[in-house]
Amino acid sequence: MNRILCLLFVSASLVFAGDLKIEGAWIRAVPPSSKATAAFMTIINKTDTPVLITGGTCPVAQEIRPMITTKQANGVMGMAVAESFAIPAKGQRVFEPGGDHIMLMNLKEVPKAGSTVALVLTTESGGKAGAIHLDVPVR
Amino acid sequence: MARHRHNDARSRRIALILLAACAVAAIPVLVILFSIAKKPASPWFGQYDPDAHQAYNFSLTDHDGKPVRLQDLRGQAVLLCFGFTRCPNICPTTLGNLAAVYRKLPPAAQERTKVVFISVDERDTPASLKEYVPFFNERFLGLTGPPADIGTTARAYGAFFRKAPAVGSDKGDYLIDHSTYTHLIDPEGNLRVLYRFEQLPETDRIADDVQRVLGLPVPEKQP
Repeated sequence: MNRILCLLFVSASLVFAGDLKIEGAWIRAVPPSSKATAAFMTIINKTDTPVLITGGTCPVAQEIRPMITTKQANGVMGMAVAESFAIPAKGQRVFEPGGDHIMLMNLKEVPKAGSTVALVLTTESGGKAGAIHLDVPVR
Repeated sequence: MARHRHNDARSRRIALILLAACAVAAIPVLVILFSIAKKPASPWFGQYDPDAHQAYNFSLTDHDGKPVRLQDLRGQAVLLCFGFTRCPNICPTTLGNLAAVYRKLPPAAQERTKVVFISVDERDTPASLKEYVPFFNERFLGLTGPPADIGTTARAYGAFFRKAPAVGSDKGDYLIDHSTYTHLIDPEGNLRVLYRFEQLPETDRIADDVQRVLGLPVPEKQP
């Protein structure tokens, strides 16, 4: 029984968008006054061509940007906008808490824990534009 | 032939010299390995300071507008970190992990533990901290103060911060690069344990450290 539940859970958290596979996507629930939050996921690229994540759209935020987190030897951390974030050919990139992330900026509405947010990531691969449509749980 | 033999002798000599050099280079490595093997494993998860260094007694304002000094928290273990409420990723990760540490403490330890978040952003106010910090746990404390006091406090704890270029279209909306260490201060006000950001997901082990610093028995873990 547990195994079946586990399988169900895993399959629900997987999204196939063409030759990209998205695993374990979630958005962090943040305090109601927040101006920004972040989405985390693993993006797996099964193609022979790098895929760029160029941005996105989302009903709750004015801007969606892939962000790179930087860390210096003295423990100082910061982040920078990645104009495009490359998922290497036959490779993967992980967006995770405290690391690189998809930033939902200038929130129009702060997503509540337990809700689901429609998130579209725009992509570019071999000069062709594309999009990944996700329903991302907030927790 | 003679020349060959000469070359052979030379390469043998070089090989010997190299071997000797390797042997000499191996000595410090062996010494280090030996001392690691001999040293009893520290029970502390974070970087533990066995000397009693008094933590800086800051005097700031809490998220209810009340003055707070570190001294007022004597008798409690204090987990102290720096950040800002507009931080979209690092600070929520830190405070989320510290909330998990707090939940794992037995009630007797929770009563004697304070998580303190000091804002390094001059835009933060007691009101903005009140909306932010208690979201992670209602017993956490957000602190702010005049920039000079925040600067002095940050320096005293070895923390660094600076405004970073804005991200996105709103150029007035800057972010702040900041230190990501968390300090564990003992009930006597001494800096005891330092955690790197990467260590914070190990919430069980940090909860053990907190109980140790409070002098409470730490339950033995099953191997």
